[in-house]
Amino acid sequence: MTALPALLNPILTLLGLGLGIGSVLGFIAKRFQLESDPIVNRINNLLPQTQCGHCGYPGCKPYAQAIAEGEAINKCPPGGAGTIRKLANLLNLEELPLDATHGVEEVPKVARIREAECIGCALCIPACPVDAILGAPKFMHTVIESECTGCDLCVEPCPVDCIDMVELHTQAIAAKQQDHLPCINCGLCIDECPVEILPHTLYRACDDENLELAESLKLQYCIECRKCDNVCPSGIPLVGYYQAAKEKLQLETMEKIKANNAKKRFECHLERQERVKVEEEVLREKRAKLAQQNKSKTSNQNIQAALERVRARKNEKPSP
Amino acid sequence: MTDIFLILVGAILVNNFVLTQFLGLCPFMGVSGKVETAVGMSAATIFVLTLASACSYIVYHYLLLPLGLEYLRTISFIVVIAAVVSATEMIMQFTSPFLYRILGIFLPLITSNCAVLGVALLNINQSHTFIESVFYGLGAAVGFSLVLVLFSAMREKLDQCDIPEPFQGPAIAMITAGLMSLTFMGFTGMVQ
Repeated sequence: MTALPALLNPILTLLGLGLGIGSVLGFIAKRFQLESDPIVNRINNLLPQTQCGHCGYPGCKPYAQAIAEGEAINKCPPGGAGTIRKLANLLNLEELPLDATHGVEEVPKVARIREAECIGCALCIPACPVDAILGAPKFMHTVIESECTGCDLCVEPCPVDCIDMVELHTQAIAAKQQDHLPCINCGLCIDECPVEILPHTLYRACDDENLELAESLKLQYCIECRKCDNVCPSGIPLVGYYQAAKEKLQLETMEKIKANNAKKRFECHLERQERVKVEEEVLREKRAKLAQQNKSKTSNQNIQAALERVRARKNEKPSP
Repeated sequence: MTDIFLILVGAILVNNFVLTQFLGLCPFMGVSGKVETAVGMSAATIFVLTLASACSYIVYHYLLLPLGLEYLRTISFIVVIAAVVSATEMIMQFTSPFLYRILGIFLPLITSNCAVLGVALLNINQSHTFIESVFYGLGAAVGFSLVLVLFSAMREKLDQCDIPEPFQGPAIAMITAGLMSLTFMGFTGMVQ
């Protein structure tokens, strides 16, 4: 019993300390609140934004939503292994091979309309998730190639099969160079390099296709003077490796820009569909109301008048 | 003035927290793989350690001492340090997302850096005043940063070297750390 008051003091002190600190932290958390990027958006940013629906969802955002709720990450054929790896990294999941039931990874394609055969039916226009088809009923259509994501959703509705999926002309990445001896870390290239990057380290990063590392090792600083090539005792064509890596980086950046565009266009497409739906609904209601009014007011009179007219004509006919 | 200078030099070089007192070894080995991360960790540590030693001084002298609860100092310092770290993290995320991204995971990791608690406890042991405590914390953090950056630079170089297989990885890192510790022994006795 005597121990209790002695214990009470420290307990109360610690409690007070905890409460004080807790309330200060709570205040700070409230004051400096930051809306964090929800996980769905982060997943969506990793998806290729083709909006093709191969995964079984109507677009990339719905699939991202589904992944956040536990859907498998290997259902995106346009993204392929790269996207699966990024998703696995983000969500701390195991990397899975692509689920072949949803399609196989292919080179990027775009749709092209054989314009001579197009009959102007306009069926492909609503099928395009990113509004990349231009045209009007009874006029020839065309695909805006830079906006096309290659989802092939427009191929199916075309009644005359005049839409082809053609391969996007991307620069072929320079093939691996001829055989050479391994890097021996002699450091000769370091002394040669006029822009003071570490050619041998950079070479290794490029060889492993670790583009992030290569960029942090100042890949873009290389002026491709080939001085390092000339001194390398192993005869490694270093600059060839750098060029391949640079090309790959550029391609990736362009794809990212395109994906971003497609995402925006898809969002606009959805928004427009929603708006049209609402507008049509309003219009239909208006018309129905008008019809109702007319009906209740004059429908009987109208019918009577029509009957009168018919009768009058009938009476007129036999007379001549 | 000379007192503060002596405290700084003493904490940075003579009684270096990592190499002489062997505190904060976990981040010393853990985040010294690259110079960039080491610099990030150093910046975060300097900030938090200075702030935490000031806060723990206030808590000890204005809360625990008057109530006669000196024996609660360890647990209350842990609470204070954790609070300082998470408050710093929240404020930084709001005010400077750039800095937040650089420091990233290192900021919460400092909570478990025993050098921070060590500084708070040593401040009391050596009966420092408030100003002295702050500079002792600053000195400790600068010393920590100094050896961390030096060590990571060395490890980056080591990665490029042809090291015999049994010594690769942590083994050579440990040997390097030991040699660094030996060199810092040379400062012993410079400042009491």
